[in-house]
Amino acid sequence: MIKLIYNEMLKLVRKKRILVIILIVAALIPLFTYAQYKVAQTVEEKLGTTDWRATLQQQIIDTQNRLSSSRISDEWRKQIEIRLAQQQYYLDHDINPAVPGAPSFTRSFLDQAITLFLPLMVMVIAADLVSSEFSGGTIKLLLTRPINRWKILLSKYITMIFAVSFMLLVVSVLSSVISGLVFGYGGWTMPVITGFTVEGGELVTSQVSLLPQWEYLLMELGLVWFVCLVIGTLSFMLSILLRSTAAGMGVMLATLIAGAILTNMASSWESAKYLFMLNLQLTDYLAGMAPPVEGMTLGFSLSVLSVWGLAGLLTSFLVFTKRDVY
Amino acid sequence: MSEEILVVENLSKTIKRKEIVKELSFSLRAGEVFGFLGPNGAGKTTTIRMLVGLIKPTSGSIKICGYNLATHFKEALNCLGCIVENPELYPYLSGMENLQHFARMLDHVTKERILEVVEMVGLENRVHDLVKTYSLGMRQRLGIAQALLGNPKLLILDEPTNGLDPAGIREMREFIRQLAKTNGLSVLVSSHLLSEVQLLCDRVGIISKGELLHVASVEQLLSEQERLIWRVRPAHLALQILQGYTEIKGESSDGLIITPYEEEKVSLWNRVLIEGGVEILEMHRRLPTLEDMFMEWTGGQSID
Amino acid sequence: MKDKGISILLSISILFTLVLLGGLSWALKSYLFESQKVVELPKQLVEEQPGEKNTQKEGKFILALGDSLTRGTGDPTGKGYIGQLIDELQSKSKEKITLSNMGIKGQTSAQLLSQIKEKEIQRQMAEADYILLTIGGNDLFQQGQTLVDPSPTMIEPLQKAYLKNLREILQQLRTLNKDATIFMIGLYNPFSYLDDTLHTSQIVREWNYQSSEVCAEFPLIVYVPTFDLFQLKAEDYLYSDKFHPNGEGYRLIAERVASLINW
Repeated sequence: MIKLIYNEMLKLVRKKRILVIILIVAALIPLFTYAQYKVAQTVEEKLGTTDWRATLQQQIIDTQNRLSSSRISDEWRKQIEIRLAQQQYYLDHDINPAVPGAPSFTRSFLDQAITLFLPLMVMVIAADLVSSEFSGGTIKLLLTRPINRWKILLSKYITMIFAVSFMLLVVSVLSSVISGLVFGYGGWTMPVITGFTVEGGELVTSQVSLLPQWEYLLMELGLVWFVCLVIGTLSFMLSILLRSTAAGMGVMLATLIAGAILTNMASSWESAKYLFMLNLQLTDYLAGMAPPVEGMTLGFSLSVLSVWGLAGLLTSFLVFTKRDVY
Repeated sequence: MSEEILVVENLSKTIKRKEIVKELSFSLRAGEVFGFLGPNGAGKTTTIRMLVGLIKPTSGSIKICGYNLATHFKEALNCLGCIVENPELYPYLSGMENLQHFARMLDHVTKERILEVVEMVGLENRVHDLVKTYSLGMRQRLGIAQALLGNPKLLILDEPTNGLDPAGIREMREFIRQLAKTNGLSVLVSSHLLSEVQLLCDRVGIISKGELLHVASVEQLLSEQERLIWRVRPAHLALQILQGYTEIKGESSDGLIITPYEEEKVSLWNRVLIEGGVEILEMHRRLPTLEDMFMEWTGGQSID
Repeated sequence: MKDKGISILLSISILFTLVLLGGLSWALKSYLFESQKVVELPKQLVEEQPGEKNTQKEGKFILALGDSLTRGTGDPTGKGYIGQLIDELQSKSKEKITLSNMGIKGQTSAQLLSQIKEKEIQRQMAEADYILLTIGGNDLFQQGQTLVDPSPTMIEPLQKAYLKNLREILQQLRTLNKDATIFMIGLYNPFSYLDDTLHTSQIVREWNYQSSEVCAEFPLIVYVPTFDLFQLKAEDYLYSDKFHPNGEGYRLIAERVASLINW
């Protein structure tokens, strides 16, 4: 089995898939770093102070002002109120929620990237893994070896898992290193609040705990990894069903974008919470943000994603082992 | 020589209620080169894909080295090396990396074995270059090297000379013959080119519209009766007259009629034709080629 | 002959896969199974913020507290009198002016009283060189409610409560910061265009008078009247909601306050 995985890894590397991802990440992170730097700078200019307490207080005031506007919808108001309570909590307990520094940047980058950017990178790997063998005709050579088809597929799947892990390693290392150049490398042990839960639109702080940032980051990476795997599994399935890299990526991308749009509208369509696209923001549960549909929890989202992932995996194996190859 | 490497029994494949392959039965002995001959679309490729396990047969069984492909996939494929259609290898890997890649998928292929097959196909000089820089002939040879890696008892080659230049074709032919002769390999070659099969194979199976029409050794086929070829005008009249006297083996639109050659009767046929008002432009006897016979068996269907 | 790079890549990937798996299960464990356990916030984290209180003390620090007037509601540029004031001060002075605008729309004196009990606000209050205050408008007008029945029985309890709050607010400010000049911006009568002008104006005048009396109880508090500014051409200076000033109206207030600030 390890030999088969080695084969797949070799092909992945030689097809320059890994390189492409490293380059994309390496090109984009400085961009985000610069943007973040600019944001910090404007805030500083506007407030004339680098004191985060003043910044946070200002944010609270701004949020309160938004709340007093009568034009906002009820859902939105709830979200704002939760945000507000959280900010107030940070302030009251003297915890800076965004100490500028490499770990904080990485943390917020992962938060942002989990819905679209990282899935896209995963698709670059996963959508191509099977369909390229079909389009290159090499599938005929691959399947006429004295190895059962499910083993061949399994080796590809495991390779996908490893590649996703490697990609996350690249993303976290690059974003830490590059952003560190600007923001410094401090803040790994900074306490971060987690464990906010939202019940009936109310922020419950009774379960709040403090974590050093690196622990938080590790947990976050674990969740991001899980999301990436589910996305990977689904693209993997699509690439088997459609036998075309482009078609597979197209369908997957359309689904993800539809999901991003739906997330903003889902509060009134409750059963949308069973769609996998609406459950990608796992890190929001860690940070204590309101979910797209009320009542969704980390456990719920993980279950939904698992079901989708398992269904995708099962379909992949059934189709791949049964199908005639022309 | 009686050991049967490949046994195919009642092999059928139906795709979307259309029977592509109908009740195919044949077998391959050790060390023999078997030609699988038929026009494009006759079901050759589908049959070959069933033999190598890419397509599941609707019914019938395939045994390779005594192992049933459906139940003992691994063991059966261990005896098999194949190229299906064009040898499509990974263009972004070198020849050597391709071979190593496939060697890793077999049980025990040593480094020496890889070098050995490279030498066998004569790719020593270019084996470390990327496959995308290879010519078609080189890819074909690399494909064969890949098929030979696991020391198979049976080699299945789908149109092995497709796209090669005449020199390449001859080289390939000699190579295959030599493999069968010196290594005792059984080879199944599919082709739509009669000339090739005639020169390459020991036995031929002719397939058309999914049915195996005829299996015979090439010599046996060629030792058949001599044929008499007539060029006459008007053809339809001649046909009418000749039908009364002998069997018509074949005819073509440009006025050619093929009949068996029977020395004592030829002058009689000649006379009745002339009396019947048929102009005889040419008549000669010759040994039938596979091409002629294919025309006869398939009822005038041309080969290409 | 074997590609070493792939093996290394593979090993790294496997290793990191295990790390990620660990992270995932940890997150699961702490979120799903340990969430019942209430974790106390470590005390030392809350307290160990030494020395940071004194941020760079260069230039002037202006703290603005209050309601929508401080926010700048009605000014199309969004600056309000605070923004325009800062612009004006900045054009006159080379010193760096830092502004902290803590105004909240619709805030009443009672709400302001609770706002200034927040730790961060108190910190800023202590550091400010100037404190600007607009409050009372929402206490008095109650979003137009008062207009329905502008009788003394209606106004009196409102005013009483307001004055008590104001006194407490100013008390707080003075306790935390002895040196800052506090500018208390008075009310104008936004309803001077209505028929009942005489009556509402009387109420506002009385309100302002009482406010200025409270201000006078403390040192260094300047009561800045605005009643006169809007007395004659109220409609020219009011926003379309007929309640808040427009850009021009805010400019009048800003100019008046600016003329009082000198350093």
